[in-house]
Amino acid sequence: MNAPRLSHSAALILKALSLGYCFGLDVMEVTGLPSGTVYPALRRLERDELVESKWEPEEEATAKQRPARRYYQVTHEGKVAAQAATERYPLLAQFGVRKRS
Amino acid sequence: MMDDLLLTPFDRTLLHGIGKVVPLSEREEWSRAWQAELWHVHHRGTDQRMRRVAATSDLAVGILRDALWLRTESWRRSFGGTATLCLASLLGMSVLSTLFALLLGGGWRQLGLYMTGDFKRTICAAPLVIFVAFATASRRHMEPVSTARSIYRFRRLLFFVAKIAQVLLLAFLLSADLCLPLFASMPSTAEISQVFVFVAFALLGMRWAFRDQEERCKECLQSLTTPARVGRPSHNLLEWNGTELSCKRGHGRLSVPEIETSWCQSSQWRAASGTWDRVSIL
Repeated sequence: MNAPRLSHSAALILKALSLGYCFGLDVMEVTGLPSGTVYPALRRLERDELVESKWEPEEEATAKQRPARRYYQVTHEGKVAAQAATERYPLLAQFGVRKRS
Repeated sequence: MMDDLLLTPFDRTLLHGIGKVVPLSEREEWSRAWQAELWHVHHRGTDQRMRRVAATSDLAVGILRDALWLRTESWRRSFGGTATLCLASLLGMSVLSTLFALLLGGGWRQLGLYMTGDFKRTICAAPLVIFVAFATASRRHMEPVSTARSIYRFRRLLFFVAKIAQVLLLAFLLSADLCLPLFASMPSTAEISQVFVFVAFALLGMRWAFRDQEERCKECLQSLTTPARVGRPSHNLLEWNGTELSCKRGHGRLSVPEIETSWCQSSQWRAASGTWDRVSIL
């Protein structure tokens, strides 16, 4: 399977997601990209089936007295694309640390 | 679910205002997602009000761009590849070309004087271009679809005529744009060049129009997608080979031969309903 070619920003966002930063705000913080780049990129990645989004369970959010958030997960195709992007942009391999869960 | 009373009045106004851009079917989920994001901006443990305000204003750009993305994506899904988009794009290019000519000409009056002469010559050249384009077009582009209902045939013909008319108009406007700068210093050269440039652009445009017409669904006029190679060129004497395109609305598929042969001269449209009828008989 040919992995889709990603822009540097999209590859960075995919990498952040694969390191466990699964919310839009977290991705913004860890990548330093502005919201105007991150959120449309997440939509595009979801449309291209490289990531999938889900809603946090309502009970969990209510227990913590906060609204439920939408979070993103990298799909199998996304992992392949992230690997290809890391080969294309070698500096990505040095990016970030895995988020503590 | 937490209600939007947790948000500041500014956040609520922002979401309410920008939310109008989002397609109706996706608005509720979009609003819910952004309410949660804004809530988290205000409750991230930072006490500095200015930092929260800066974060909210940065997020406002994201909210707007996210809403615009959803709107354009919705348009892309609705209009992508449609006949309406094709005609609208050609019309848009014609308008842009006219504005450019207006800019070069310096006013409607000067442009009118220049265009009148050009238009008369173009009217003479256009039938010749149409004749040459039809005469040199591959036969497969004009193969009638015998099974098509007359309403589809009429719509297809109407679309084709509108497209050809717009292509010729665009070719005329582009040729006028290109030769207009020459007109002040070398009027005769500009006039002759304009005719040649028009003929070249019109022939290229007609070629594109034929190809575009062929690669559209014969029922809904949507551009056919997912091209797939079928057969092998080395087996050309034994079997058919070429490309198959399909209508994304499921109306049928088009088989385009790689090489026009005596046993397969034209592309063939296979309507999906006919195929399913035959399958159901079996």
